[in-house]
This record gives sequence, C-alpha cells and structure tokens, in this order.
Amino acid sequence: MKEKTQVADIDRSLYDFRYEEDERDYLGSGITADIIKEISDEKGDTDWMREFRLKSLEIYDRTPMVEWGPSIEGLDIDNIVTYIRTKSRMNTDWDDVPDDIKNTFEKLGIPQAERESLAGVGAQYDSELVYHNVRKEVAESGVVYTDLESAMHDERYAEMIRSHFMKLVPPTDHKFAALHGAVWSGGSFVYVPKGVKLEIPLQSYFRLNAKGAGQFEHTLIILEEDSYLHFIEGCSAPKYYEAGLHAGCVELYVGKNAQLRYSTIENWSKNMYNLNTKRALVDEGGKIEWVSGSFGSHVSYLYPMSILNGRGARAEFTGITFAGEGQNLDTGAKIVHNAPDTSSYMNTKSISKSGGISTFRSAVTVNEKAVGSKSAVSCESLMLDRISRSDTIPVMDIRTDKADVGHEAKIGRISDETVFYLMSRGLSEEEAKAMIVRGFADNVSKELPLEYAVEMNNLIGLEMKGSIG
Amino acid sequence: MEKIILNKLPVPTFGWLKVNSAERDSAAFGSGEEREILLDSNARAEITGGRAKLMINAEENSRSTAVIYISGSEGKTVSVHVNAAAGAEVKLVEVYENSGAAIGDVNAEIAENAAFELVQLHLGGEDTLTDIRADLAGRSSRFKADIGYLLGGSDKLDINLIASHAGKKSDSEIAVKGVMGGKSDKIFRGTIDFLNGSSGAKGTENEEVLLMDETVRNRTVPLILCAEEDVEGAHGASIGRIDDEQVFYMQSRGIPTDKIYELMAKARIGQIVAKIGDEDTVRRVNAVIHGGEGDE
Repeated sequence: MKEKTQVADIDRSLYDFRYEEDERDYLGSGITADIIKEISDEKGDTDWMREFRLKSLEIYDRTPMVEWGPSIEGLDIDNIVTYIRTKSRMNTDWDDVPDDIKNTFEKLGIPQAERESLAGVGAQYDSELVYHNVRKEVAESGVVYTDLESAMHDERYAEMIRSHFMKLVPPTDHKFAALHGAVWSGGSFVYVPKGVKLEIPLQSYFRLNAKGAGQFEHTLIILEEDSYLHFIEGCSAPKYYEAGLHAGCVELYVGKNAQLRYSTIENWSKNMYNLNTKRALVDEGGKIEWVSGSFGSHVSYLYPMSILNGRGARAEFTGITFAGEGQNLDTGAKIVHNAPDTSSYMNTKSISKSGGISTFRSAVTVNEKAVGSKSAVSCESLMLDRISRSDTIPVMDIRTDKADVGHEAKIGRISDETVFYLMSRGLSEEEAKAMIVRGFADNVSKELPLEYAVEMNNLIGLEMKGSIG
Repeated sequence: MEKIILNKLPVPTFGWLKVNSAERDSAAFGSGEEREILLDSNARAEITGGRAKLMINAEENSRSTAVIYISGSEGKTVSVHVNAAAGAEVKLVEVYENSGAAIGDVNAEIAENAAFELVQLHLGGEDTLTDIRADLAGRSSRFKADIGYLLGGSDKLDINLIASHAGKKSDSEIAVKGVMGGKSDKIFRGTIDFLNGSSGAKGTENEEVLLMDETVRNRTVPLILCAEEDVEGAHGASIGRIDDEQVFYMQSRGIPTDKIYELMAKARIGQIVAKIGDEDTVRRVNAVIHGGEGDE
C-alpha cells in the first residue's frame, strides 16, 4: 500500500513548559473601568495615561468586532485576565530575576543569545518586563533601550513618548487596538540618535506563562536621521486548554535616511489568539524591513503596515507562515505609498498541512502624491495535503498614473517533475521532497540572523518519512 | 429607492479598502418587466434599456456563439445564463457601449469536457457593474475569459469574476487588459476558487492596466482560494504607464508623444477586440475606438 510522504507538524515541546502562577497575582478578568483604574494604580500612571486608558475603553466598548478574517468566537474576552502583577521588579542584573522566570528564559536561550550576539536584551514575562539590559558601549553611543513604563516616568523621554504613543496606531484603528490602549502593559522603548548605526541587534522576548491571560505589550522605536537598528522580537507561550490572547502593539518611527530591520519569530501555542498590530512610519530616504515568521497561535491576524511618508522611502516585507493542525493563520502586510519615488517589495511564502488554514492578505495603496513610486508583491503557497486550505487575498489601490505596480502569486503542491529530477540525481523521494520544502522556506530563513534561522528550521521540523511505491 | 449590494467578494478583506462589495440604488439600472430571450446557436442581441434575461442552452457536443451588444443611455440590467452540456462549446461576446448605468451578470454551468469562452468589452460607461460566475462543474471543463476596458472621462466600471473549480482537471484562464484615462474609476475582482475535489485543476489570471492620466483610480483584487492539494493556480497584475524605453524608442522613430500614448492604448484594447471574431461586431467596435468606419 502506498503511504504518502509526510511532513511533520512543528515541534513545540521546547516551548511547552510552564510554571504555576499564584492566582493572587491576577487582577480580575474582563474589561471594566474598575480593572483599568486598578491597572493605572498598579503602574502609577500619569494623569494623561489614566485618561488615555479610560478613553480607549470607551472606544473599545463602541467598536464592533471585525467582519472579515478567521473566526474569533472561541475567544471569550470576559474570561481573559488582562493584567498579572509581577513577582519581580524590573532588573538589569540577570541574577536578580526570580528563579522560575529565569529558568523559563534560560530554557529559551535568551541570556545565552545576549552574551553571544546581541547589543541588548529585554524579557517580558506575562504583563511586565522583568529584565532589560544593554551593553555599556551601546548605551554610551546614546542609544536608549529600556522598558517603556520606566521611560514614561523619566523626564528625559516622557514628552517624546507622549507625543508618539499610539499616534501611529490610534485606539480608533480597530477593536483590539482600543483594547490595547486600555490595558497595555510592558514592552520596550528604543531611541537611536542621529547618525548612530547599531551593528548588532537588540532583542525583546515575550513570554506568556499564565493560564487564560492576555499579553498587551507596547513596543515603541524611534530612529533619528541616518541611523540603523536591527530589532528582534520572539514570542512563545505554553499550551493550555483555555484561550489566551496576545494584542500587542508595535509603533516604529524611521527618520530621514534611517534604516530599521524588524525581525519576528512568533511561536505562540495553539490556544493563543494573536491579534497584534504593527506599524511603521518612514521618512524621506528611510527604509523599513520586516522579516516575519509565523508558526504558532490558534488564530492570527497579523499584517505589519508601512506608511512611506517621505520622498524615496522604502519598505520590504519578507514573511513565512506555517499553518498546521488546528491553526488559522491570517497574515500578510499593508503598504501605503504617500510620497513621491517611494518603493516597496513584499515576498511571502506559506505552507498549509494537516487541516491548517493559511491566508495571505495584503494591501498596496499608492496615493495621488506618490508619483514615481514602485511596488512589487510576490507570494507563493504550498499545500501539503488535501484537507488543508490556502487563500491569497491581495488588493492594489492605485490613484496615480505615474506608478509601477506588479503582483504575482502562485499556489500548488510539490512538483512531481522536480522530485523526479532530484531522484535522477541520486536522491531518494523522501530526501527530494524534504529538500524542496526546505528550499521553499529558504528565502525567509536567509534573511534571519543565524541563530534565528536555526530556530526556524527547528520550528519547521521537516521530518520526512514514508515508503514509496 | 432600494439599495442593492452587488459584486460581493467571495472572501471579504480589510473594510477600509471598500472593495468587499458595491452598493447602488436599484432604480438607476432599468425598470419594468424582465424580458426573457432564448438565444440560439448563432444569436445576436442588442439591449438598449430595461431588464433582460438571456439564456443559452447548449446541448451535448454542440457549438454556439452569441453576441450581445449593450448600448444606449437608459439604465439597464442584463442577465445571461449559460448552460453548457457535456462536450459543448459556447462563446459569448458582450460589448458594453452604454453611456447610462448598467448591471450585467453572467452565470455559466460548464459540464464535463464542455468549454465556455467569454469576451467582454467595456467601451466607457457612466456606471457599469458586471458579475461573472463560471461553475466548472464537470471533469475537464474549461473556462476562458478575455475582458477589456477603455475608460475615460468620469467612467466607472466594477467587475467581479469568479471561476469556481469543482471538476477534476478543470481549467480556467482569465486575461484582463485595460486602459484608463481622465477621472475614470475601475475595480476588478477576480477569483479562482479551487474547491475540495478539483484535483488536477489549473487556473491562471492576469490583469494589465495602462494608466493614462494622473486622476485615474484603479483597484485590482486578484484572489486565489484553495482547498485542494493537487492544483496549480497563478495570478499576476501589472499596473502603470507605458514603459519609458518603449516611449523613447517610438519617439526616436519620429512619433509624437501624444500619438504614442494613443497608439499604445489602442493596441492594448485591440488585443481583446481581436478575440471577438464576429466581423460586424469588430467593425462596430473599431468605429467606436478609432472613429469613422473602424477599418483601421
């Protein structure tokens, strides 16, 4: 009997461990004004932030759920705990971090990565940052990398943060942006001064350990003129039967001729609803590069947006999505060309197997002012069996004749001809198919730092087996 | 006044793009009783107003061609039902040369080894919406669509096309070529839908849009939906002005710039006109595109 060659699901055992939380650390579940005020009290919010949170709650209450995309019916927001008190204040010395939290990040290899290849590391555990550190020489160059809440209370940065916080992603953007505005907690603040080019990356790692909880971290990065930064974020959570929610927000301001590379490997567990919002505003001659790997979550809505607001601004998006059993991953990107001579390039791959649903969704808008702009989109999807699903939903909205916009998409299976060719060169069928699938993901893995490319390969876990005949 | 929702995208997307459907006032698109017209194997029809329902019932292994010319300034609604039985080959040519508002829909059921070819040409139009659905129900059924548009002034065109593959080894090929000038506004939604069970199916879709003025608005929404492993689907879109090198070459041959754009626009739409086949219709269409008798 013929057995089909199988591609294994992603192995998440590395991430699927947890420590029990003390329930006294939880604020009540649900979204009410009392909970929001309690969060503000816990954090010692300034007056404007208290008002901002309550105003966001009003917007949340009156904003309807999205009417497109995967179902989020399994997410009972009234049972999500939006804030968990930390057992630890923010530390800059790893030895001061509590043991269970430290063990979690040790297992994920975070301090090791810091020692070997990073300019700075932040680690968030549930609702709060527990560790932040930056190399001395990096700090001396004027780079600020700290937790957002401390920075908000620091008079050197308070006004800068107030004038940028949720200005790119206002609470009116959508229901979960409003929720984020009301209950946000933790996250990082990065400021790179004019002319400073950080050769080695900064990294934040987000871990949601608690059961039935939400994580709502806010990342705010400001790059001044002619600067460079590579920022890496990683996300994971252990698996519970209760639904978890991640509704983070990332706001990136890329100054004139500055360049920001933002890399993400997302590996939330399969009970998570990942409703994250990421947006970049790029000034004249600046460049934003998104590198995104989506492997985890039960449901994902993730479409980083680039607003090209200055002449010659550029955006690149490179992404891979792997949807396995029980996953509905709706990913892609949005690009708004808002100034002359801007350019964008999107290159995505998606793999669907074991009943997983992968959707590529994109929007390219070229406004009247964006004369001389160019955009190219390329997306490829691979179906590994006939019980899965893969959809491609791009939109191009062009409002000037002086633009050049191209789009191409392909969907298919592993080509028999290619397998045959590789077999004629001496490979077995299993080896040939494994090589093709690895090659399919290669355009993304080569854009990642080496240790992340290795992690991605581990995540894909391309184990091929089967008998041929 | 009754609002109607038309041209719904099979799978909705971001609401802010406003491409998920079109909403119109039904009164603008013709009134009165619907006329039913049964088209024979070599039929010609002209619709100038009101509401018309045309039917093509192609028997097994038959060949038929129908040409429908939609013209005039009255609002109108034109529905065409195509039933292509096993082995039948049906060609439908629709020319919209209407200055008024028009709704047109085409629904085709394509059986085993049957083929349906649609040529749809839009020569302007105040507000035209067409909704095309081809159900590739039978094994090795085929659907080919060639759609062209030449828009200027404040023309508005909204097309929604769905090629739904249920049959094994079914095949669809969608080619769209258009020219937009003035303040024209166009949206093309094209969907290739591979249903579970359509193994061996292939579908391709391509749109080329030539933009002639800075005040145009073009929206292109090419979807591939896939619930089957053993299929091949591809779509592409190319939107922009004439390539600078082409312009430079033609300028170097002494052709004035204005004339270059005119020539390129006519050449683009001419590729769709060439698919019409029917000589009388080609002559009439060319007269509109080129003026005079249309002998160019």
